[in-house]
Amino acid sequence: MTLTPELATANLAELEPGSHLCAFYDTDEQLARIASTFVTWGLAAGDQMLYVAGDDDSATTMLTSLLDDVHGTQALASGQLQIRSFADTYGGVHDGDLAPIEAGFRAAAEASRKSGFPALRVAAEMGDFARFLGSPDEVLRWERRSTAMQRDLGVSSVCQYDLRHVEDRHAAGIAAEHRALAPDSHEPPLATFLADLDPWGLRVAGEVDIANRAALIRAIQSRAEVSPRVHLDLHGLTFADVGTVRGLRAVAAALPHDGNLVLRRPPDLLRRILDLTGLRHQRMVVEP
Amino acid sequence: MTRTALASHTALFYGSDDQFASAVGAYLGEGVAREERVLAVVPLAKLERLRDELGQDAGAIDFVDARDGYRPQWNVFRAVLDSLASAPGRRLRVVAEQDLAARTPAEVIDYQRLEAAVNVIFRDHPLTLLCPYDAGTLSTDLFDISRLTHDTVIDETGRRHNEQFADPSALLRGLATVTPPLALAITLRCDEAADLSEARRFVREHATMAGLDRDTVDDLVLAVSEILTNALTHGRPPRRLHLYDDGPTWVCHVHDSGAGPGDLYAGFAPPALPSDHGYGLWMARQLCDAVDVGADVTGTHVRLHARHQR
Repeated sequence: MTLTPELATANLAELEPGSHLCAFYDTDEQLARIASTFVTWGLAAGDQMLYVAGDDDSATTMLTSLLDDVHGTQALASGQLQIRSFADTYGGVHDGDLAPIEAGFRAAAEASRKSGFPALRVAAEMGDFARFLGSPDEVLRWERRSTAMQRDLGVSSVCQYDLRHVEDRHAAGIAAEHRALAPDSHEPPLATFLADLDPWGLRVAGEVDIANRAALIRAIQSRAEVSPRVHLDLHGLTFADVGTVRGLRAVAAALPHDGNLVLRRPPDLLRRILDLTGLRHQRMVVEP
Repeated sequence: MTRTALASHTALFYGSDDQFASAVGAYLGEGVAREERVLAVVPLAKLERLRDELGQDAGAIDFVDARDGYRPQWNVFRAVLDSLASAPGRRLRVVAEQDLAARTPAEVIDYQRLEAAVNVIFRDHPLTLLCPYDAGTLSTDLFDISRLTHDTVIDETGRRHNEQFADPSALLRGLATVTPPLALAITLRCDEAADLSEARRFVREHATMAGLDRDTVDDLVLAVSEILTNALTHGRPPRRLHLYDDGPTWVCHVHDSGAGPGDLYAGFAPPALPSDHGYGLWMARQLCDAVDVGADVTGTHVRLHARHQR
């Protein structure tokens, strides 16, 4: 299979919420690379990831072995990464009405926000979906509808098509309904913001600067909307700039009076910035 | 200049350690008697001498070894601002002196800026500041700047209002040196937010190779990241980071094609209230041994100096 749809490849580091991406693979290894790249970047941004698989057991095995062990395991435990079979997601019968499928999507996006995530991202294996909808034209109809809905909901997705089961003449039409191709490899994210349930908050690792601090603040605010006592485990934080600390302070200052932002295990650098700038707040608690 | 300032800034020219001890001792003792807050930042040997001179009054004084208080030099501004903030409204009396002979040329220039900036940054604070100078060892540069930046002078002829006091802004403009990057610099282009991480790695690697210790490298990496962030936020492309050895200091030189901060006093003090900007140059001065800020026809230059630890 040599078909290469004429689409640019998305930069996952600058993905706009609501981006509708697609990918075409012809080996299981290629699917694994595309899926784990998309999932890694979604989890790193603190978003909830829903992986819709033909076979959820093999998808679980694939993703947990490909994601960095700690991330995959933690993300599954916290509910940040959910792997569902196609049947569990969309039910078994399709009568030509796309509205129930859309309603299911909207409910999932809402549930994601209520669980303290800034946004939902979906990676879906499309093979069974095409069979479910019945015809290639129905798939196109759904994809078109999905682009508008995802923009509206701020849900980004990658629709992963197996070229071994898609005819060439359909692949170009499918590609045309998407903004860009999802990459099958990418540099690692600058930092990861993984959800924590107990204590409620985020585990922050890597470097935070002007490139990704807005994403961190957005992830913290989403946690705070569910519970205003948010813990950040900063043990893995290797760099943060003054703008990051300024952002953390602003989040703490905006919390209700019974809320607080607890900075656990901050690196020396963070204490140094606090000392030199005086950017402290009564609701920003620095713990050892 | 008419001075209705709350602050006073006095230079004391002394000829011997005995003169230093008696004049500074009397000055500090007067502060204790008036129930002012009293802070002494002086070299360790003089600190001991002052304790002896002051007797039990010494207990009411915060003594800081100048090696800590002036590391880096602009840290002394933070010490004074923190002391003022800890007792709002109460007068703060400070004596501040360091071993200037041990400073590199870049630090001596920055010290001259510091002496000029004091008069504006602390103008509306209840601060009485005394800067003792050893008249016997003072270089011409430092003698000149001390004569231009203190409203009052005390020397062997007594105490008097200083007629030579000069406009601090004019002095700072004169001290805003612009030096192009050295030809042997190694350079990194930095025009995107995504380039910052690479810039930090680049500084860490080369600073370590230049023999700087771990803490110094950490501080330099943070300072460069802040100044590059300023260049990305406020400056214009092309933006470049040049690294080079400049004799006694190792330099991270950030250049962009914009007009620069404009405000001569940017970053001498932190923002008074939490603010969206205004921390970059303040941080750099708290983290580096000397910081030069200037503009020329090519744009804005910020040079961050780290002393070689040879």
